[in-house]
Amino acid sequence: MSSAAIETKRKRTAFGLTIPTGLFVGTFCVLPLLVLFSYSFFQVDFVAIIREPTLDNYNRILHSGTYMGLIVKALVYGIGIAFLCCVIAFPLALFIAKRVTVYKSALLTLLLIPLYTGDLIRIFAWRVVLGAEGVLNSLLQWMGIIHEPLWFLLFSPFATVVVLTYNYLPFMVFPLWASIEALDDSYIEAAMDLGSRNLGVFFKVILPLSGPGLVAGFLMVFVLVVGDYLTPQLIGGSSGVTVTSAIHDMFGAAFDWPTGSALAWVLLACMTAFVAIALYTFYRSPWGRGIRGGRR
Amino acid sequence: MFRRTFLKMMAAGTAGAMIGDIPFEAFAASDKTVNWLTWENLAYDKYIADFIASSGIKIQKGFIGSDDEQFAKIRAGGAKDWDLITPGLDKVELYVASGLLQPLDLAKIPNAEKLYAPFKSTGLGKKDGQTYGIPFYWGINPMVYRADLMDEEPDWSTLFEGTKYKGRLAMRDYALEGIAIAAMYVGIERSRIFKMDDKELAECKKACIAQKKLLRTYWNSIADLTNLFAAGEVVCAFSWVPPYYDLRAKGIDMGMAKPKEGVIGWCDTCAIPAGTTPESTEAAHELINFLLGPDYGKKLAIGGPYAISTSTARDSLTDEEQEKIFIKDMSVMDSFVWKENPADYGKWVRIWNEVKAS
Repeated sequence: MSSAAIETKRKRTAFGLTIPTGLFVGTFCVLPLLVLFSYSFFQVDFVAIIREPTLDNYNRILHSGTYMGLIVKALVYGIGIAFLCCVIAFPLALFIAKRVTVYKSALLTLLLIPLYTGDLIRIFAWRVVLGAEGVLNSLLQWMGIIHEPLWFLLFSPFATVVVLTYNYLPFMVFPLWASIEALDDSYIEAAMDLGSRNLGVFFKVILPLSGPGLVAGFLMVFVLVVGDYLTPQLIGGSSGVTVTSAIHDMFGAAFDWPTGSALAWVLLACMTAFVAIALYTFYRSPWGRGIRGGRR
Repeated sequence: MFRRTFLKMMAAGTAGAMIGDIPFEAFAASDKTVNWLTWENLAYDKYIADFIASSGIKIQKGFIGSDDEQFAKIRAGGAKDWDLITPGLDKVELYVASGLLQPLDLAKIPNAEKLYAPFKSTGLGKKDGQTYGIPFYWGINPMVYRADLMDEEPDWSTLFEGTKYKGRLAMRDYALEGIAIAAMYVGIERSRIFKMDDKELAECKKACIAQKKLLRTYWNSIADLTNLFAAGEVVCAFSWVPPYYDLRAKGIDMGMAKPKEGVIGWCDTCAIPAGTTPESTEAAHELINFLLGPDYGKKLAIGGPYAISTSTARDSLTDEEQEKIFIKDMSVMDSFVWKENPADYGKWVRIWNEVKAS
């Protein structure tokens, strides 16, 4: 068999193997999104969907301070919490990858344990920690640091940030750990031989070469945070409204599927734009060398 | 202390989360089946076992988490899966307008004769002289508060003004009731509440925005609110009745207030989706008659505690039991504001979202 024939066969096999996944994603992800997209141009009259295409829904959303504000809030929370996770996860991943030898898998499993419990269990556990009569307030009162409970610890944006960061930290640690684990120690040694100090090694060698893990973790945390409405709702107090819960209200309470669809698509477009810009910026930056390979 | 709070929170929280769409069957030796979509607390086996045994009808249950969820499910093509559903009285018109229900044959529901007067005369649930949703059980959504942590009985103004309880109040995350209560607070005439114009809605929105600053949180499940009361996070809330009884039973001094401006009254109905088989329709009518009858009525009054819409069980209840479900003095109904569906409910939901995002 000629090499060309082998290559053709290889391509065919690869194509054949992707068909089931493609079909699954097409049927259960792309198709519903397209249906949602078509609905976003319709109107609703009491309980009837009027199938006459119009841009009114998009117009209303794009000119609504409330909905655009909620989208911006979602993106800010997504970016902010992904950044926080980066800051916390990097030393942790670096430590597990480069310093731990014997207990590596035990530590990684430990990181996963919170994910074994359901979202609600974690949320209610945090309420026990942050509540007015909770662990933290009681401890601070017992130590005499405060005399009245700190009410802002729960049902506040602070609580939302703490719990979301906790929830999604493993999604940042794992890709980062995988990237750092794959990093050849000789690069670090070479940098040190050439006179680089710890911070220099980190910013010039480790950070650029763990770029793929960083990007993967950042995007995963970002997407999960933007889509999470349960945590802000149950932990965030009266300021816990999210764009996702607004979409939920549109579909459920208001029976306004067209506006709900349009809002979902505007959110999707904003997220896609952010991800594209973030990826491009990172790719072009000095830290994107890990993705670009050797190219400048 | 922590352990106790923790366990309480876990129990309340997870129970609330688990109430969902978990169908299971109550078997009987028969082919007649009613697929009943309803609230879990209405379909306990202890309530319906006698009916299954005596009628030979098999009941397959499915549970709803909210009225809106039920409508979305039926509207999206789910009607064929169910022979009996439980829409709110205010929501029946949505189903009828969508052609999702069939008219009920009242001749097959003799207990309907004993409906309380307000349910007989209401125009809700009916169209062109035919009944599509027959009132089934009802109650009020009052204010519930921690009597041990508040100096005086609250009224609606407690949720909108003053700073004494700032950050210790809670409101249900539900546009219809949230805005209706604001309407009562700002003094909108009761008959106009669900027909408000833009100016009146704007006034309510302003009140709701002021209210938001006073709230600890908006609540979504009654189990969660019960838990917030128990943990002392919230001292007063627009509530459902259960936290009042549940927490009193646990030794917490709870109060229930029915503000003079009016309280929200609710009523759920029994309705049969269009397109059910003649056998199922027959069986569903039989079940409806049972649900409006003395046996079920008494069990729900004691177990709920909720009142059914007929007087069939009233005489078999003690004064205390009657008082508990608001049927001892029926004039209490005069202060009710029965929920209705606003013509443009989408606008109400948009306003509510604007309030929450303010």
